[in-house]
Amino acid sequence: MAKITAVEAEPVKTVSPYTNPNQELRYKLYTIGILLAIVAAWEMAPRLGLVSPIILPSFSAVIGALITLLQQDFFLRHFTVTLTEIVIGFILGTAIGLSIGIALAVWPTAKRIAYPLVVGFQAIPKIVFAPLFIAWFGFGMSSKVVMAVVISFFPVLINTLVGLESVPEDARRLMRSIKATPLQTFRKVSLPHALPVIFAGIKAALTFAVIGAIVGEFVGASEGLGYLVELYKNQLRIDRVFAVIVILATIGAGGYFLLEWLDRKLIFWRDDSESK
Amino acid sequence: MAAQTQKPAPLERAAQGVPIIEIEGLGKTFAIDTGPVVALESVDLTIRKGEFVSFVGPSGCGKSTLLNMVAGLLPASGGQAMLNGDVIEEPSRKVGFMFQTAVLLPWRTVEQNVLMPAEVFGTKNEATRQKARKVLEAVGLGDFTDAYPRQLSGGMQQRVSLARTLTYEPDVLLMDEPFGALDEFTREAMNLELMRITQAAGITVLFVTHNISEAVFMADRVVIMTPRPGKVSGVIDIDFPRPRVIEQMQSQKFTDLIFQVRGILGHGQDNSS
Repeated sequence: MAKITAVEAEPVKTVSPYTNPNQELRYKLYTIGILLAIVAAWEMAPRLGLVSPIILPSFSAVIGALITLLQQDFFLRHFTVTLTEIVIGFILGTAIGLSIGIALAVWPTAKRIAYPLVVGFQAIPKIVFAPLFIAWFGFGMSSKVVMAVVISFFPVLINTLVGLESVPEDARRLMRSIKATPLQTFRKVSLPHALPVIFAGIKAALTFAVIGAIVGEFVGASEGLGYLVELYKNQLRIDRVFAVIVILATIGAGGYFLLEWLDRKLIFWRDDSESK
Repeated sequence: MAAQTQKPAPLERAAQGVPIIEIEGLGKTFAIDTGPVVALESVDLTIRKGEFVSFVGPSGCGKSTLLNMVAGLLPASGGQAMLNGDVIEEPSRKVGFMFQTAVLLPWRTVEQNVLMPAEVFGTKNEATRQKARKVLEAVGLGDFTDAYPRQLSGGMQQRVSLARTLTYEPDVLLMDEPFGALDEFTREAMNLELMRITQAAGITVLFVTHNISEAVFMADRVVIMTPRPGKVSGVIDIDFPRPRVIEQMQSQKFTDLIFQVRGILGHGQDNSS
C-alpha cells in the first residue's frame, strides 16, 4: 500500500468542457438569433417590394412550394435518383481515396512515382470533366456517380496519406523495438492514429459527392434534383428552385451529422489527440 | 581506448561481473549532403548484468545514437555491440526501450497499452494479464488500469510506459531521457522508483540523460560523453551504497563526483572546439 501513496499526490486530469454552460447557451442563442434575422429579412424583402417575388420569393412562399413539391408523385423518383448517385459516389470515392492513400503511405516507391500525378490531377478543376462524362457514360446515373467519385476521392486520399505519415517517430521506434511486423504497426498504431484526419477527409468527401452529383445533373440529365433545379429555373418557378435547394441542403446536412456522430463514436479519444 | 574504467569497479550492484552487453569499437558515421559526420567515435564498454549505467553529455555527444545501436534500431558503421555474447543486428525482445515521451496509444486504456507488446508477441493470455496488473500495481497505477492516457498526468503516463516495458520482462532496459519532460519533483520520485524496481528485478539499465546529478545519483557507473565528434571521454565508478537515498546527494563525496564529471565534460569540449 505504501507504494500507492506516492502516486496519489499526482492529480487525475478531469476531462471538462472549458467553457461554462451559460456561455455555451448564450452562443447558441446568438446563432439562432442571426438565423432568425436572415429569415425575417428574406420574408420582408419581397413583401416590402424591395425585390421582385419572381427573383426572390418570400420565405413563406418557399416553404409553401416545398410542401407542395413533397406531395408530388414525381418528387420521390427525382429524390431517390440524386440520393443514390450521392451515396454510391461517396462510398466509391471514399473507398478509392482510402485505398490509394494507404498504398502511397505504406509503399514509398509508389508515392514517389504517383504523388506528382495525384497532385497534378488535383490541380485540374474537375467540374470541366462533367460534359465529358456525359458523353462517355450517358445521361443516366453512372455519369453523375463518376463525377461524384472523381471530385470526392481526393480529400480522402490526401488525408489518409497525411494521417498515416504523421505517426510520431517514437511510436514507430517503439513498435520496431518490440519487433512488430509492418502489418501489426499499421493496424495497432498507424491506422488508429490517422483515423481522426481520415475522417475529416471523409466528411469533406460527402460535401464533394453532393456537388459532383448535382453538377452532373446540371450538365445533362433527365431526372434528379439537379435536373429539377434546371427545369424550374427555366420555368421561372424560383420558389420551387429554392425548395429543391432546401432539400439538397437537408441531404448534405443529414449526411454530415451522420458522419459526425460516427466520428464521435469511433474516435472517442479525439480531445486527447488534438491537445497533444 | 576511448572508454576506460578509471579504477576497478566495486561491483556493488552488478552480479559478480557477468557481462551482458559488450561494446567493441562501436561507431557511427552519418552521410549527409556536406559529407560524412561522425556521430559517435569508436566506443569500447562492457556492461555487467544488473548494472545501472548512466550516459551523460550535452546534445550531439552521440549518447542517443549509442543507445539506438544497442537497441538494434540503428546499424553501426563500425565495430559491434553484443547482447549475451550475440552480435546485435536487430531489436530484441530481451531489450526494452523507453523514450522521452510515454508513447501511449490514446485509444487504449492503461491496461490495454501495457498489454500491447504481448499482443505483438502473440502471448496475450490470462498469465500476461495477471503480470500486467501486478506491474501496474508496482508502479502505483493499480487503481488506474481502466483509465485512458488523457486522464493521467505526465508522470503517470511515464509510469504506464515503464509498466509496458517491465511487463514483458526484458533483461536490459534502455532509457533515452525518459523523465526529461517531467517536472523536477516528479522526475526525482520517478528516478527513485525506477531504481527500486529495476534493482529488485535485476534488470540492467542504460540510462541516457543530460542531467549530471541525476546521472551520478542513479548509476553504478557514469559514462561521460562529449560532442563534435561524439565520443566517450571518461567512465566514473559510483560506489554509493544502495538503495540510494536523496540524502546522499548532500554529501561531500557526491559534490566531488559531480565536479569530476564536469571536469571531464569540460576537457572534452575544450579539445574539440
